[in-house]
Amino acid sequence: MSTGSSKADVLQGTLDLMVLRTLESMGPQHGFGLAKRIQQISGGALDLNQGTLYPALLRLEQRGWIASRWGASDKNRRARFYELTPAGSKQIARETDDWARTVALMERFLRVAE
Amino acid sequence: MRTFWKRFTGLFSNRRLETELDEEVAVHLDMLAEELREQGMDARAAQEAARREFGGIDSMKEAYRDRRGIPRIEILAKDVRYAIRGLRRSPAFTIAAVLSLALGIGANTAIFSFLDTLMLRMLPVEKPEQLLSLYRTGGWGRGFASYPQYLEFRRHAELFNGVLARSGAYKVRFDAGHNNRAEFVAREFVSGNYFDVLGVKPAIGRLFTDADNRTPQGHPIAILSYDFWRSRFGLDPGVLGRTLMVDEQPLTVVGVAAPGFHGVEVEHRADVWAPAMMFRGAIAEDGMHWVWILARRRPEISKSRIQAAANTIMRQHLASVYGDKPDSAFRRWAMEQRMEVRDGGLGISMLRDEFAKPLTVLMAAVGLVLLIACANVANLLLARGAARRREIALRLSLGATRRRIVRQWLIDSLLLALMGSILGLLFAVWGERYMLLFLPPGLSDSFSVAPDATVLCFTACISIISAIIFGLAPALRATALDPAISLKGGASQAPVGGKRFGLRKALVVAQVAFSVVLVVMAGLFAHSLAGLRSINPGFTYQNVMTFALDYPRAWKDADKDRFRQRLLARVAALPGIASFSCGALAPYQGGIWNAGMRVPGSARTATEGVEVALQGVGPGYFATLGSRPLRGREFDENDMRATRKIALVNQAFVSEFFPGLTDPVGRVLSFDDSKPEGGEPTYIVGLVRDILHKGLKIPAEPTVYVPFHQGQVGFDPTLMVRAQLSPDTLLPMIRRELNRLDPEVALTEPRTIRQRVDDSIFADRMIATLSGFFGGLALLLAAVGIYGVMAYAVAQRTAELGLRIALGADPAKIGRMVLRDGLLLITAGIAIGLPLSVAAGRISSSLLYGIQPGDPLAFVLTVAVLLVIGMVSAFVPARRAASIEPVEALRHE
Repeated sequence: MSTGSSKADVLQGTLDLMVLRTLESMGPQHGFGLAKRIQQISGGALDLNQGTLYPALLRLEQRGWIASRWGASDKNRRARFYELTPAGSKQIARETDDWARTVALMERFLRVAE
Repeated sequence: MRTFWKRFTGLFSNRRLETELDEEVAVHLDMLAEELREQGMDARAAQEAARREFGGIDSMKEAYRDRRGIPRIEILAKDVRYAIRGLRRSPAFTIAAVLSLALGIGANTAIFSFLDTLMLRMLPVEKPEQLLSLYRTGGWGRGFASYPQYLEFRRHAELFNGVLARSGAYKVRFDAGHNNRAEFVAREFVSGNYFDVLGVKPAIGRLFTDADNRTPQGHPIAILSYDFWRSRFGLDPGVLGRTLMVDEQPLTVVGVAAPGFHGVEVEHRADVWAPAMMFRGAIAEDGMHWVWILARRRPEISKSRIQAAANTIMRQHLASVYGDKPDSAFRRWAMEQRMEVRDGGLGISMLRDEFAKPLTVLMAAVGLVLLIACANVANLLLARGAARRREIALRLSLGATRRRIVRQWLIDSLLLALMGSILGLLFAVWGERYMLLFLPPGLSDSFSVAPDATVLCFTACISIISAIIFGLAPALRATALDPAISLKGGASQAPVGGKRFGLRKALVVAQVAFSVVLVVMAGLFAHSLAGLRSINPGFTYQNVMTFALDYPRAWKDADKDRFRQRLLARVAALPGIASFSCGALAPYQGGIWNAGMRVPGSARTATEGVEVALQGVGPGYFATLGSRPLRGREFDENDMRATRKIALVNQAFVSEFFPGLTDPVGRVLSFDDSKPEGGEPTYIVGLVRDILHKGLKIPAEPTVYVPFHQGQVGFDPTLMVRAQLSPDTLLPMIRRELNRLDPEVALTEPRTIRQRVDDSIFADRMIATLSGFFGGLALLLAAVGIYGVMAYAVAQRTAELGLRIALGADPAKIGRMVLRDGLLLITAGIAIGLPLSVAAGRISSSLLYGIQPGDPLAFVLTVAVLLVIGMVSAFVPARRAASIEPVEALRHE
């Protein structure tokens, strides 16, 4: 990963939630589609090598939060599609709460520092 | 867990996942490039941009792979592969190490398996730790009690949560109505509450209750053991309600006991249970000791309290039964009975009483053998570590952690232990088969040679412990080095620290010390056995075959008598038969037959009758045993029918009742012991040698032999045939004659007198043979150890010794120096081993017959043997040291 000063590195653990959320909103998606969508949503603020996605997908699948199967893409190519599992949905809820708490906490500190 | 599993399977489906990932990446790149092309890039530029956007493919794949497999397991697998390669590369080392371990582990497994069956395995019943065995002692044998005694103890609910009685599990004829072949099953008579007290459930049908055991001969029902149901009836539930002929009693099967339950006696397993009331005989007679009592104690009452209570119960019971009998030897004998309260959870076992101590000693011995084997392997590993210094140094300097290398070494050790234990299990099965040959017939049923879960677990545990014992120190040693020095110096010249070498020497000293203990033990037991063997049993035990006959139940005593005469007459006509007879009890048959008597004129019986042992013998009994009467004559055919009472007495009888007399013929004794001068006289017609009927270790007691009359003697006689033929030819001939006369009569317990004598000292034979074997094994391992260390020392010092020879040292002197080093190790080992041996001898002194634990012969021989073996194993390295060519040695530099 390069270290662009204007672009944010992906924080450890945040990529997981991004992938899960994207899958939740878009439905089953292949790796390329996911990468494109994540970059779109981040509005280019995220410095992400698309390849980085694959180890993350494997990790999520091993934990049972997503499942994968081989299918045909819209251009009729064989591709691997990832989709959210029920355990994954629960995980989103959990992590969303965590994030909200973390953000709230950080905000308080930042305000005090001002 | 799920993650782990996916990762784990990931290890094995590597290739497929790899291609899938490749395909996924390719698709991704294509899609990306296509999109870029659509934005107007030309094809090549689009491809390059896609690749840039995607990032480092290889580093991604690496991350992906790391994620996929369990790195630790992958490393482990790699280490194991590496270890296997290493062991393959040095086959001599591997074979030596594995063989040492296999012998040690095998010996331990074999002995443990016996120990487990006999001394550790609890009965498969409910709360076995609450079970007590009420063991009767004093007067008329041991263990078995009378039925009235059982009923007496059963009344005491304040002590027990249940009291049961059972007969021995004896083989009896069995007929399921299919064939006429004589089959035998082990039948046990039990009280109605037997299964209930033990907490054993039925597999099918029902088990006995007290209602099934009320009236003598009134409950013709039976329960089968699960194993018997499986082996004989193929688990057919239709067996319920079937009537089986057991000992010619028709019994209807009402149930099958839970799997795994074979009764309460370890070495005699029951196949069929019948209610005690079906026992044919005087069930409730006071003098009839045929049931063994077991009780479940109330958890809150201690064993010692129960023992105290049992003493009182027994005393009162005996007083009520025998109290008003006239004062006689019989009454005193009866009143001596006690009830010993023992733990019963392991099941009852006469074999355990005799065999527990020898087994424990053997277990300790094999423990030492394993330690010696471990020392050997540790030494081999140390030598190997020294040879691999350069490799280890290289790995350390290339960044391998010490922990990783130590782990690698432990994996080596575990692999050796694993191979050793697999081979060891094979040795164990073979060894157990051999050990079973020592057991008297009929006692080996419960010992299985196939290792069960407990035994396998034991083997696995000792293997792992051994691997740590012999592997850890060498591993730490081998890796504690400075890579720089080792790499520069090379393997042969690495500084041999005194400490490093000291460990190897210490191991050899320990090996020698343990060997001393084992060899001394072997010497003690061998000497003890030789002493037993040299005892004169009172007869010559060559070529005498003994056997019993099993007649149909309907036969009267006269029928049996007639049949036996006819059979013996036909056997006598066979070629090669020298003589034949019969007797009860036969030598070594076991059992007791006593009678009170008076000897008119003897001071010994002037005030009271004295109990003597009684034997009923047929004509020619002593001739058949090869023991001619010392005075007078033995019985002939006419004596069997004569009304005049006659008897033979043995030497012990004479010295007890006629001290100083040499010829008792013509003297008189009387079996009416109610008055000092006796009643009806019995005339002594001969004096015979003391025959050790009960075992070589038990001195002869005063014995009176009377003519055998069926009916008067309560036992079926054992038949004896002396022949010039080997038992293997004789026995089929006898069987053939028996079959011609009446196929209904079965021949049982065929055994030569020689075998019966051997059976009586089986534990001594076994411990002497096995400890001899283990002693030899220890010597072999120690010799290899000494040789290895000395050879290594010489190899290490080749340069130095060569230089010394070049400078004019006498080669012979150099050789002697090496030899002296070897001897020093041995002497140190002996010095440590001797006091240990004295202690070991003292612990096992109860197993020694006729010698002291400090038996000088055993000790002197041991020291001599070890010195010789030590010299021989140090000699080869010494020769090599003396024959070093200085030029060669220096060039080697």
